[in-house]
Amino acid sequence: MDKVFKALADPTRRDLLDRLRAENGQTLGELCARLAMTRQAVTKHLVLLEEANLVATARRGREKLHYLNPVPINEIAERWIGKFESGRLQALSDIKRALEEGTGESR
Amino acid sequence: MADVSKFKPKTVYVTYIDAPLEKVWRALIDPQFTRQYFFGFAIEIEPRSGGAFRLLAPDGGTHVSGEVVEWSPPHRLCVTWRVAGMKDFGELPECLVSYDIAQAGGSVQVTMTESHSWDVPDAILRGGQSGWPKILSSLKSVLETGKALSIETGMPAGFVDAVKKAVVEKPWLRSSS
Repeated sequence: MDKVFKALADPTRRDLLDRLRAENGQTLGELCARLAMTRQAVTKHLVLLEEANLVATARRGREKLHYLNPVPINEIAERWIGKFESGRLQALSDIKRALEEGTGESR
Repeated sequence: MADVSKFKPKTVYVTYIDAPLEKVWRALIDPQFTRQYFFGFAIEIEPRSGGAFRLLAPDGGTHVSGEVVEWSPPHRLCVTWRVAGMKDFGELPECLVSYDIAQAGGSVQVTMTESHSWDVPDAILRGGQSGWPKILSSLKSVLETGKALSIETGMPAGFVDAVKKAVVEKPWLRSSS
């Protein structure tokens, strides 16, 4: 679990996860093309994300594809968020989103 | 049998389980186990490639049906997957679900891969993406503690409409790019 928190503590790595969330199954090349970073730097971040099990990979022919793996985050949620709390938290999160979207429109 | 080369992995989930590898394999193919961690569904599977595969709902109805594509105990199981127990869903092309089980140091790595032969809309993929993490977390909990997690079914917003739309438009019939 330490590895998950360490991996998430870095904004670049969270950015990589966001990119996979937006488009799952990208190659290293595709991930690099959209980031102003060297291939080596991206590889280093991906290794940490894989070690934390936040990124899973699959081979397809010669390609290595990267996927967002939310299972460890689900396990963290299961540990600290009970089944009765999850409904209330969802409601709060919905309210937050609705209000924030509301501000966006009035701007 | 399904032409596996046409399918592309769309969702890949990994969990690490502190249990013997053989026991993890058994948990995937034994209805006594699947009932505990897979929304109450019982697996029914013929132990050979080309064999029949089903997931039965608690009321005995078929929720998922398919065919065994690869039966390689205790390391790999791959099946075709058609959701028969939900309206419209059964008319979508079947997908592939595979489990890969590997020893990883002191624990066992389980990789679930959901692959599709067509350009599935994200709204449909989110159906599986909302369920699999819960199923895998619950599988881990059953094997490590003997207790399943209390997981709930429920489809993400937009899912039902996306399935309906796909069934009408049948985008998989278009020549693939």
